[in-house]
Amino acid sequence: MPTVIFRSPDGTERKVTAESGTVLMQAAVANGVEGIVAECGGNASCATCHVYVAEDRSELVGPPGDVEDEMLDFTAAERRPTSRLSCQIQLSDALDGLVVHVPEEQV
Amino acid sequence: MSVLTTAAPGAPVVELDLAELRRDPYPCYAELRRTAPLAWVPSVGRHLLTRYEDIVRAEKLPEVFSSREEGSLLLRTVGPNLLREDDPEHRRLRAAAEPPTRPRQVRDLWAGAFERTAHELLDRIEGRGEADLIADFAEPLAAANLALVLGLRNASADDIADWSRAMMAGNGNYADDPDVWLRAEQATRAIEEAVAETAEAVRREPDGSVISSMVHAAEPVELAEIQNNVKVIIGGGVNEPRDVFGVGAWALLRRPEALERVLRDPACWKRVFEETARWISPIGMYPRQLTEDHEIAGVTLPAGSRVALVIASGNRDESVFERADEFDLDRPHRPHLAFGGGPHFCMGAWVARHEVSAIAWPLVFSRLKGLRPVEGADDRMDGWVFRGLTSLHVTWQAP
Repeated sequence: MPTVIFRSPDGTERKVTAESGTVLMQAAVANGVEGIVAECGGNASCATCHVYVAEDRSELVGPPGDVEDEMLDFTAAERRPTSRLSCQIQLSDALDGLVVHVPEEQV
Repeated sequence: MSVLTTAAPGAPVVELDLAELRRDPYPCYAELRRTAPLAWVPSVGRHLLTRYEDIVRAEKLPEVFSSREEGSLLLRTVGPNLLREDDPEHRRLRAAAEPPTRPRQVRDLWAGAFERTAHELLDRIEGRGEADLIADFAEPLAAANLALVLGLRNASADDIADWSRAMMAGNGNYADDPDVWLRAEQATRAIEEAVAETAEAVRREPDGSVISSMVHAAEPVELAEIQNNVKVIIGGGVNEPRDVFGVGAWALLRRPEALERVLRDPACWKRVFEETARWISPIGMYPRQLTEDHEIAGVTLPAGSRVALVIASGNRDESVFERADEFDLDRPHRPHLAFGGGPHFCMGAWVARHEVSAIAWPLVFSRLKGLRPVEGADDRMDGWVFRGLTSLHVTWQAP
């Protein structure tokens, strides 16, 4: 079961362990990670589960899909090269130890 | 599973006067949050769920809090539609209708026309020096923009606004008034004809609109499904942007310091939008029906129970929003519930945000110089299922 670390803007960290195949946003919401709002429940229509993937694993996580790419242009916090919607990231054992940064704002 | 139209055992029963709710529901909601966060309200025929955290929890369990409500007035008014469906049926219809309402489409396909329409409406009133910004601007703007996004070139803004009103009246026809049903039926029949004609045209020539998107969807959508879903979108799609526009403008006209700040820094319009939608949510509540026994807010609801998620109340929950009754652009950011949540998250959210905060407010406040409210005008908020200003009388220096 992969473990993921959510790092808040103030530097605090939250470690979450979830089954492989779980969506990162669901893992965050199920564990009450602050700052992951996920208004639309994982349908890539609200852009409120935005995260910045740590650069060392960004390539492994991969690029956003088309709809996600569009939504990322409209996130409340600035879009960066490693921006993703956490509802579109599926966890696998290869992502064990992944660090994602939670932005200041989601709406 | 049959629908239960009585209180769940153990649920407090609270009598609320519908006229009082329409006038101002917020004091009732504050009392419910404090004393009975899940209460059976006989005049509404549902359990009202009023605390933020409970509403969020319910929204995250669509398989328990089903959108398929039996005996719904909305179903009677427009027929089966995506608002009253659960996934996967809801997802099929939503996926077909949604692409034209995504933010990049709004910016690239619709924003230019939205802006032209706003200018045309302001051209008509600018020389008068006075207007009702709801009837003379916000409603026709919302209706014209909606016609465009839907693809209904064969309907005028007045048609759209009239149809919307007739269907909304049907949707709220708890008194079963036959005249209200007749008007709603006339409206829905007119929409069916307009949609059938449009669907035929965009089948040959796609135009990026919602109807076009549904006609060409990967998973097939029947004409009757397109017609019913267009009815639902017309039902809600006029009043939501209209009411956010009106309430936000009203709030700023009474807070000159906030208005000055927004005019100095146009990036603040986005914050005005979100705070307005939180403060007076254009949609106040929506119904759900339990698919299984479930405990929430200290009450075990049996399968079949009817529940109203009162998002307007969640948005005033003091445990989440400090001084929740105040309109405050500087409040610490917490997500509001005005667009709903989960799979039914408002499909028109990006359209409304853009047409109101990027176009309507900035143009009105920049073109109508010295804009101020008419003292003594009878401008009031009305409604609880839907809430907004009935009028907004203003004056300005005519050029």
